[in-house]
Amino acid sequence: MPENVLMSLKKITKTYTMGEVTVEALKETSLDIFAGELLVILGPSGSGKSTLLNIMGGMDLPTTGEVYFGQENMSRAGESRLTHYRRSAVGFVFQFYNLIPDLTARENVELAANLVDNPLPTAEVLREVGMETRMDHFPAQLSGGEQQRVSIARAVVKNPRLLLCDEPTGSLDSHTGRLILAMLRHVNLEHGSTVVIVTHNAVIGAMAHRVLRMSSGRIVEVIENASPLPPERIEW
Amino acid sequence: MSILAKKLFRTIKTTRGQFLAVTAVVMLGITVYISMSTVSYNMIQSRDLFYREYNFADYYFQVIKAPEGVIRQIESVPGVIRATGRIQKDVPVLRENGERASARLTSYPLPMNTEVNRLHLLSGRLFEKYPETGEAEVLLDPQYAAANRLSPNDKVTIVAEGRQVSLTVVGAATAPEFVYPMKDAASLIPEPGNFGIFMVPHNQAQEILNLSGQVNQVVIKIAHGSDEKKIAERVKNILEPYGNLASYPRKQQLSDAVLSGEMDQLRIMARFLPSIFLGIAALIEFVMLGRMVKAQRSQIGTMKAIGYNNFQIMWHYSSYAVLVGALGALLGSLTGILLASFLSRVYAQFFNLPEVISGVSSLALLYGFILSLSVGAVAGLTASRGVLAIQPAESMQSGPPRGSGKIFLESWSRLWHRLDTTWKMCLRIIMRNRFRSAVTLLGVVFATGMMVVSFFFQDTVNVMINEYFSQKYDYFVRFTEPVKESELLDITRLDGVTRAEPVFEIPVKIHFAGRTQEELLIGLPGNTQMQRLKSQTGSDLRLPDRGLLISSSTARKLQVRVGDEVQVETLLPLGPTRRSNLKIMGVSQQFIGGMSYLTLAQTNLILQENQLISGAMLKLDPGKAHLVENKLNDMTGVSSLLSHKKEMESFAAQMDYMYYYIFVMVAFAVVLGFAIVYNASVISFAERKRELASLRVIGFTVQEVSGLLLKENLLQTLLGVALGLPFGRLLADYYIQAMMSSSDLYSTYTFKVVIYPLTYALSALGGIFFIMAAYRLAVRGVKTLDLVEVLKTRD
Repeated sequence: MPENVLMSLKKITKTYTMGEVTVEALKETSLDIFAGELLVILGPSGSGKSTLLNIMGGMDLPTTGEVYFGQENMSRAGESRLTHYRRSAVGFVFQFYNLIPDLTARENVELAANLVDNPLPTAEVLREVGMETRMDHFPAQLSGGEQQRVSIARAVVKNPRLLLCDEPTGSLDSHTGRLILAMLRHVNLEHGSTVVIVTHNAVIGAMAHRVLRMSSGRIVEVIENASPLPPERIEW
Repeated sequence: MSILAKKLFRTIKTTRGQFLAVTAVVMLGITVYISMSTVSYNMIQSRDLFYREYNFADYYFQVIKAPEGVIRQIESVPGVIRATGRIQKDVPVLRENGERASARLTSYPLPMNTEVNRLHLLSGRLFEKYPETGEAEVLLDPQYAAANRLSPNDKVTIVAEGRQVSLTVVGAATAPEFVYPMKDAASLIPEPGNFGIFMVPHNQAQEILNLSGQVNQVVIKIAHGSDEKKIAERVKNILEPYGNLASYPRKQQLSDAVLSGEMDQLRIMARFLPSIFLGIAALIEFVMLGRMVKAQRSQIGTMKAIGYNNFQIMWHYSSYAVLVGALGALLGSLTGILLASFLSRVYAQFFNLPEVISGVSSLALLYGFILSLSVGAVAGLTASRGVLAIQPAESMQSGPPRGSGKIFLESWSRLWHRLDTTWKMCLRIIMRNRFRSAVTLLGVVFATGMMVVSFFFQDTVNVMINEYFSQKYDYFVRFTEPVKESELLDITRLDGVTRAEPVFEIPVKIHFAGRTQEELLIGLPGNTQMQRLKSQTGSDLRLPDRGLLISSSTARKLQVRVGDEVQVETLLPLGPTRRSNLKIMGVSQQFIGGMSYLTLAQTNLILQENQLISGAMLKLDPGKAHLVENKLNDMTGVSSLLSHKKEMESFAAQMDYMYYYIFVMVAFAVVLGFAIVYNASVISFAERKRELASLRVIGFTVQEVSGLLLKENLLQTLLGVALGLPFGRLLADYYIQAMMSSSDLYSTYTFKVVIYPLTYALSALGGIFFIMAAYRLAVRGVKTLDLVEVLKTRD
């Protein structure tokens, strides 16, 4: 395995049984994710992109195939190992932010910071996402964009090696969406975290080092992007 | 089935745990309501029938002795329908095993047809006026007969007028006045082995007691609607020349007082417990449905968009609560009827009522259903009123994150900042769901309080018994009539008697400021070592040389205080009535009965006698107790012999039923507490699934997430337990108050609410048990929380 491969997915399949119907969400998919890259996974709904992300994030296990994080085979990991993995190595950004409504912005970030041994300073991270003046507001007092920024801060504060984002701009207008993408790129450049963004919005691919196109449970195309665009210049 | 009905049944299926938990609470409420009101209804019916058919007296008059002719005179008083003269006297019984018992010899004029207080033959035959054998015939109360294994043709021996008289048993009988054959209000419980009702023909009683042509008791029936008090006054005036000892209306008659007290208790229970259970069920339903309406906001919007009107939708949600009510009432009625038929039998047996009506009160059933359904409907409609505000278009958009802003605790910033983030979260959640938290808290407070009440009774009775039985004598001997103190030597000399102290008991009326109370004065040697006298604060009291130590219950009833002067009027069956003034020197705490203490010298002074005593307290050599007992039983001058130890044992045996009561009450409390904590936990879990899933995703372990929920749960419930303990104490006080004011019988008791620390500990433990059980069951979903699924959907 080359040194700069952070995560390696080998021939993974995922099938769900829903009542009497078996759905094959992923079909023998293989993929290497490189340390420090910004990867965008594109595809329509039902293409398997979220399933792929969930498996990468240790929220789900493949039905067959293997997942390596570094040297460790994660595809056989138990619940506590997976929890530990999510806790120490992964940061998540969700479409609906999923902040804890009863905690302020700062406290939401602290909550995550408390989970790891060497978190980044909470105030520092909130400043990076431009929330330094609204740290003591509750989610209900924040706009969608602001909530997503807090959500990024919450993911970043753990200083994760892998930052997984599921439709991070899906609920935002394009201006705010661009700001959020800029932040993700900032995290990728400044903190060196590997960033994986799952989206159905094709234009976002322009900011990635690599773009994966998925359809019906398979990766149908991998595009290497030699000169990614800064998010500010992406139009949609 | 309509679509909405289908939806309702599916909702019930998915929330079956909660549905069943609330149903159980309703069911318990209805069970108690149906069973208690049915038993009380049945008992009242049986009692009234019995009282009516056997002509139970309205008023009792006790005299020393009066000629039979006085009855005619009394019957001529307007308003008196019928008067019966008879003889009633307590006499010692010599049992075959050599021990003594006490009999209330009661006479019946023959033929009995229209007389007041007729008896009801249970087995055997009626006694004859002049039996062929020449030996008087007697009917026994069934408890005494059973306890002493006596059947027709057996002989019993009583001591009367200094001689032994043998009577032939001809059967068993009861009467309205002997439904609960207890010797006096100072006995805690009936002792069927030691006290019996001996019913004999009037002429035989006169002969046995040398009262030819005389009566010592007059019982009357009063016409409906006439002035009882006025009539009683006129009868008393007629009886005045014959030594009017006591007079009392039916409701002060001991058996009736006990029976009424029991009915009152049932009635209190039939109201009190169901109100708590239905009230709490309503609150749970309210919270549950309120939450359901909120969670199904977009569905409601859709229904409205399709064309359902507000009422249809509100009724749909309310139906959930109405179904809880219906099922709870149905199950509760079934268990209530079962319990009622069981309890009716137990009560009827206990009270020895000849005709037991064990019907099912359809009115109680109807009320039970109406109550339960309307509680459900009201809770449902109030909870679903949120439906009105939902606009179809708006409802399909997702709302903002729930409430925000600071809670008041945050103003103590120094304290607040020290808190861990998870604590802050829990505190804010509790404060933001104030109503729901309050309901949970209230439920836990009630459940814990109920546990304290269930356990406390045992503590209080325990203390009462310990105090009551804490006297230092082994035996209490009563003589058939007062004797000179020097005669005590006969007893002191007996082998095995280590010490004897004389006693003089005088029944009196105490008058103070226009109030009158009957009381037993007990004269003791000034330096008594066998009677322990306690003040109301529990310290030891010394017998004052002059004046009276009045009992706490009598002091309360007469409203006298230390330093007041009262007048005592003697009620001894022999000799003239004496009156004397005494100063109150102290109040002695007594749990049972009214007994006031003074020196022996003063009792003699009151009676204008010298060195007379009526009994003695004995301390025995434990090895020779049996010997002494046998000797005392042989002495004709001894009327009764009370063994301290036996009294205690028989009392303890009677208290066994208490454990059933405690068990049932604790079970009720556990169900109540469980239901409320379970529902609160399920709701809070369901509402926050997304949040909890996000926590799991960012790396919280299952334990950490459950711990979070537990913290939140314990913050509310432990506070509930902590408040529930003092609340239980208040409930206990209230219960005792209600009991003491409910009947004349209990007013002679002074119940001190005593709760041992162990009781609090047990109640708290019980509380923690139902909290943890409910919590565990409610949040077992944390383990299987589907991270992927929950995060995808927006609620």
